[in-house]
Amino acid sequence: MAKIKVVHYINQFFAQIGGEEKADYPAELRVGETVGPGLAFAANFKDEAEIIATIVCGDSYFNENLEKAKADILAMVKEQKPDVFIAGPAFNAGRYGVACGTIAAAVQEELGIPAVTGMYVENPGADMFKNHVYMIATKNNAAGMRGAVAKMAPLALKLGKGEPVGASAEEGYMPNGIRVNFFEKKRGSARAVDMLLKKLAGKPFETEYPMPNFDRVAPNPAVKDLAHAKIALVTSGGIVPKGNPDHIESSSASHYGEYDITGVTDLTEDTYETAHGGYDPVYANQDADRVLPIDVLRDMEKEGVIGELHHLFYTTVGNGTAVASAKAFAAEIGRKLKADGVDAVILTST
Amino acid sequence: MAQNNFEIITNNPLVLGKLRETHYVVYHDISYEEILKEVRDRIHEGHRLLSHPLSGSVKPKETPYKSIIITTGKGMEPDIESLELIENAIEACGKFAFKADLYGAGVYKDFQLIDWTLLKSALESAEI
Amino acid sequence: MKLEMGYIHIKDIRFSEESRIQDGILYVSEKAVRETALEDEKLKSVSFDIARPGASVRITPVKDVIEPRVKVEGRGGIFPGIISKTDTVGEGKTYALKGMAVVTAGKIVGFQEGVIDMTGPGAEYTPFSKTLNLVMVCGAQEGIEPHEYEKAVRLAGFRVAVYIGELARTLTPDETTVYETYGLKEGIEKYPELPRVAYVQMLQSQGLLHDTYVYGVDAKRIVPTILSPTEIMDGAIVSGNCVSACDKNPTYVHLNNPVVHDLFEQHGKTLNFVCQIITNENVYLADKQRSSDWTAKLCRMLDLDGVIVSQEGFGNPDTDLIMNCKKIEAEGIKTVIITDEYAGRDGKSQSLADADTAADAVITGGNANQVVILPKLDKVIGTLDYITKIAGASEQTLHEDGSLEVELQVITGATNETGFNKLSAR
Repeated sequence: MAKIKVVHYINQFFAQIGGEEKADYPAELRVGETVGPGLAFAANFKDEAEIIATIVCGDSYFNENLEKAKADILAMVKEQKPDVFIAGPAFNAGRYGVACGTIAAAVQEELGIPAVTGMYVENPGADMFKNHVYMIATKNNAAGMRGAVAKMAPLALKLGKGEPVGASAEEGYMPNGIRVNFFEKKRGSARAVDMLLKKLAGKPFETEYPMPNFDRVAPNPAVKDLAHAKIALVTSGGIVPKGNPDHIESSSASHYGEYDITGVTDLTEDTYETAHGGYDPVYANQDADRVLPIDVLRDMEKEGVIGELHHLFYTTVGNGTAVASAKAFAAEIGRKLKADGVDAVILTST
Repeated sequence: MAQNNFEIITNNPLVLGKLRETHYVVYHDISYEEILKEVRDRIHEGHRLLSHPLSGSVKPKETPYKSIIITTGKGMEPDIESLELIENAIEACGKFAFKADLYGAGVYKDFQLIDWTLLKSALESAEI
Repeated sequence: MKLEMGYIHIKDIRFSEESRIQDGILYVSEKAVRETALEDEKLKSVSFDIARPGASVRITPVKDVIEPRVKVEGRGGIFPGIISKTDTVGEGKTYALKGMAVVTAGKIVGFQEGVIDMTGPGAEYTPFSKTLNLVMVCGAQEGIEPHEYEKAVRLAGFRVAVYIGELARTLTPDETTVYETYGLKEGIEKYPELPRVAYVQMLQSQGLLHDTYVYGVDAKRIVPTILSPTEIMDGAIVSGNCVSACDKNPTYVHLNNPVVHDLFEQHGKTLNFVCQIITNENVYLADKQRSSDWTAKLCRMLDLDGVIVSQEGFGNPDTDLIMNCKKIEAEGIKTVIITDEYAGRDGKSQSLADADTAADAVITGGNANQVVILPKLDKVIGTLDYITKIAGASEQTLHEDGSLEVELQVITGATNETGFNKLSAR
């Protein structure tokens, strides 16, 4: 039986090239080399599969040169003709997770080669790609490498061999919207009793069928007296003072900014810019009012349409930002706005 | 609730035959899914659903027949619960392959009968 | 109530001159069971056959599956209100013949359903490939209406099961288990620290071929009420539900309700199994409102901490399931619900017709739309004429080599929603 051929994709950190400072490392093909976590995969494969090449790419390079990086890497993979493609695992590294998901999905869709990746369930790449590519759920840091490889490797072998893939609970991949039947060890009623006992004791349990999550937020009643209301601006469009003094990331933002606009009536190319890496920045950089309409609101203030524009605005980058992070930012920002007596918020995005 | 407070939307000729003299029956010779959509339109106009649109275990589109009871009167706004039920039913319909044209004539009579008995079970409650 | 269940393991079934059980073998007089079945003049004919686990046999179209039992001591008899009088059951001593079942089959309507394969891939999905099955294929007189035929077959099955159960009356069981639940006050005093748990069972109640009977009462006519969980062991609940083979509860499942058994396993140890609450799945929306309101009210009045809710069927019952779950959770009582799924052949569709975030603890019996290939088997008990009409099957179903491409929907008991099987999905 011929060995299954694997191409493995990793970032600059796991290739031991460097950390954040080397994140701009361009995509590089290393034929015949097994690098970093690839060694763990190789150990797991034994003689059923081999890594015929490793592709290394910096996370910033990938995310900021998306089209070129994708094209280059796809060409590299195509040339190597693997039976299966493995990306990561990325654990909780947001840009790495997005890169893994993007490239694995592209290899699958454009080259028809099965792919598997792995990351922590809260990695922004997870929600984006788990329904496109088999994605093993890993721990949130590299201490979980062994466990991740233990699940990714057998799944990769199955995919490489063309064998049928079992249910998510059996194989360890994140539920991907496709229900697959399998036989449990215990009958359903026994599982029900177990689950109820856990629920009654306040212990964690996992439902076998997650209800579709609508996450509805009930809108507040309309503002009654707009002419006397204090309005604040909040944006996920990434508008920041020129130079991005607080280094808000272009994707997978880890924080938000709070900036004073006392006396500011108009945003210009010299004073403001966008940090957002998810849209073409040209027009926002030319005139940031297009994303954060301070000029219009100042006019409305003067005309008495609104009572007052709050002197602070809040900003972050929505691109690939984890849902949990967004929720946390919102909670904090909301508290501050309330403390400052703000009546209503205009929230802009892109 | 007296007979004239509700009407029956149906594509089942057996139901039409059984009830036309005594009840307000709206009969259309259309498909299962089209009956659901007809009912949905009525709900948007303000009628309320009185019976479940997915009654019975014979799956949608396997049986071609469906009879549904709605109020004759209309409310000022669509009833949200009715709307959710009918929309979910239309979506559920999409999961099932169309099989209804594969059966012999005798089987259609059986499907008509089952739809009629399901409707009857609802009418028994409606007419209390 | 305290019930002592005696289990007698049946090793084989054989036809014989005289009906008796000897050394674990059931000898059945065909003449006697035929007479029993044909007591109802509406039935013209009945043929009996034996299907053993592992044999290359397919039984279709299946109507009901029944386990023979006999009430040895205590009030009433098996199938109260139907075969026996309406005396309250669930106490005393009852024997059950384990490892076997009476299976009724027959054409009632043209869209047949219910396949039991005794071997092969299909056998993996039905619990009844593991029982010795005494199959009775019933034919009706000319001109009989479907509802009369359905009733005739249903009752004939119960009569035969009772006749066979009676043969065990004087035997000594191979094993015995005692099931006991207590009155409210007694239970609290006995288990003050244990969470109070009940089983809410939703019964199919939509009309002809979609009915369930409680002490002989049509479940669509009941309001939610309480049973002692041992009552079902004497046949208090029986099936008149013949549609959707995969998730309808045959009488066998009612008699052996796995939620009842698994709650009893933990009774007195990790929980106090207070009672069983039964409710229905009517078509009329106001009935659903009333039933779910009352079910939640009963849970509250019984001061329950948690319940397991099982349903029967698809679509309409999904609405009842979610209504029950929401309203019970709103009373501060924790729920686990058991259901099956119709996620489409590709597994991508919305599994249930209704949903709510309150239903955060779900056990699934699997996706009933999953396609399986059933190979040609040597023998068919019943008739294959209708296999293509079975729910989930189609004209493309009959392949050239005689194998059938069908959805799990057609296999009796495949995705049972009382948690009878190990099949699940993720």
